[in-house]
Amino acid sequence: MTIQIQNIHPTYFTPASSEVWSKVFYLEAGQKYLIKAASGSGKSSFFNFLYGLNNKFTGSILYDEDDIASFSETQWTQLRREKISLVFQGLRLFPELTAMENIQLKNQLTNHKTEAEILAALKRLDVDHLVDKKAETLSYGQQQRVAIVRALCQPFELLLLDEPFSHIDEVQIDNATQLILEEIAQRNATLLIASLGDSYNIDYTKTLLL
Amino acid sequence: MIKNLLHKQIHFSQLLFFALTSSLGLGILLVVLQLFIDTQSLFSSSNDLMGNQNVIVSKELGIDNAFTDEEIEILTQQPFVKKVGGFTNGTYRVRGSVSLAGISGITTDMFLEAIPDSFIDIQDKDWKWTPSSREVPIIIPKNYIDLYNYGFAPSAGLPQINEELIRQIPIQLDLIGSSNRRLYNAYILAASEKINSIIVPQTFLQHTNQLLSPEKEIKISRVILEVTNPSDPSLLEFLAKNNYQYFQNELLSSRISYFLQLVLSIVLGIGILITILSITLVITNINLLILKNKQTISQLYFLGFSQQQIAKVYHNLSYKILAVSIGIALVLTIICKFAFVPFLENLEVKSSAFSIVYVLIAAVILFFILALYYTKHTNKKIKQMTAVNTSLLTTEI
Repeated sequence: MTIQIQNIHPTYFTPASSEVWSKVFYLEAGQKYLIKAASGSGKSSFFNFLYGLNNKFTGSILYDEDDIASFSETQWTQLRREKISLVFQGLRLFPELTAMENIQLKNQLTNHKTEAEILAALKRLDVDHLVDKKAETLSYGQQQRVAIVRALCQPFELLLLDEPFSHIDEVQIDNATQLILEEIAQRNATLLIASLGDSYNIDYTKTLLL
Repeated sequence: MIKNLLHKQIHFSQLLFFALTSSLGLGILLVVLQLFIDTQSLFSSSNDLMGNQNVIVSKELGIDNAFTDEEIEILTQQPFVKKVGGFTNGTYRVRGSVSLAGISGITTDMFLEAIPDSFIDIQDKDWKWTPSSREVPIIIPKNYIDLYNYGFAPSAGLPQINEELIRQIPIQLDLIGSSNRRLYNAYILAASEKINSIIVPQTFLQHTNQLLSPEKEIKISRVILEVTNPSDPSLLEFLAKNNYQYFQNELLSSRISYFLQLVLSIVLGIGILITILSITLVITNINLLILKNKQTISQLYFLGFSQQQIAKVYHNLSYKILAVSIGIALVLTIICKFAFVPFLENLEVKSSAFSIVYVLIAAVILFFILALYYTKHTNKKIKQMTAVNTSLLTTEI
């Protein structure tokens, strides 16, 4: 999927001039992009625009030539199931469900991974022993890792990670990026990571300053 | 799993409250409906008590006490009068004779009158006459039969008769007008509790008046009024002012029936009001259940669940509660049906199990209408909850 960004600009706050706002650029399939910015400059807003959570912007975003402003509710649901996956900055796990239930909730929509595959992914991020613990009892770093695995449990062509490693130690960051890059490569998907500064040792196609 | 997640925020007490409010409204609606079906016979026009409210009015005794066209026009124009009908007389002498096997002919002088069909409390397909008809149907006052059965028959050693039997008695009418004389075969079609006269179809009276005494003017001696409220002071005032006579007794029973109608209407009104309130409460309850899960719902939606998938959890919940409520309401209705039996018997209403069938049908229809309404409402709420820009998730910049 090729994503075309055409002069988008949020209408509810005025961001400083950047390489994203009011610019025309493309996000190509199979490429990796880093959105680098200080807190409050609109990273989450940009991700929300791409994910259809928020449409308070001027300009347009096109997925393979289709303007996302024209998408119906059903089309968005379909996109969120099969084309775009997002790790929210706030993670948005359900605190009353266990780690595995949180992941399965997403996985059951498309039955993308088997339970063994999920467990294997969790093991690589060293959270497999926490599967039966309620999300609310996990540390933020552990929750981040569960949220990353959850985001991988669906088909996608675009993976949006909003400050995904902010509370994870470096060893686990390496494990997580490895896992993510493998999944990206398998799907030939576009990766978009928002970060305050770190580039997490990923070889990006382009870094966009926001 | 989505069901379990959404149910986690819902407490049993809330569902109980939901079911109770729902049962209350539906119960009252079905009980009132059941009561209305059971008391239908009271409202039909064939019953004096709750039928149309009629007053028969005549002028004071005298030589010329017929109603003129103007007087009838004035009566028609009164706001408290719904309908006016005149009693028309036969303008000829009538000799009626009965001959039965074993009883030699009994002959009596009598009279015939006619009123518009809409005032007659007998619904019968045989109540009609054309010049080609073989027999003339007659309606007599019910108390004539009572007089015969309880007065004349025992003292004369004759058998008592019922309305079925009376129909079989062949009557011969000998009509003697000023210019012609004719014989007609007749029979008693029915006995009326409302009209205190011997009446024949209007077509028969018109035909014979024209045929037998063409030169005589047809006079209206009494009028029958259908009124909205027989207790209306302006009606009584109007009758008194014009020196019109009426049966006090007749007006009294009319007043009772008006009062009963009023009471039943008030009960129905309150029933509908409570039902509307209970539906509003149920809707508030649904809103509350959805609102409690606002965060969860928007998260589920943005995780890739469709609005329909989320709404379905609430639909199933409300269908189940609605079914339970309707079940409770039906049980209440059936209990009430048996509780009402002694009261209805006092009103001479024959209770039949048939009303339960109607109530069942009404319950099924109510289930579908309410289920549809709740479904639409839930869908609307879920849509609001998951609308773009409104989600709590968009607060992250």
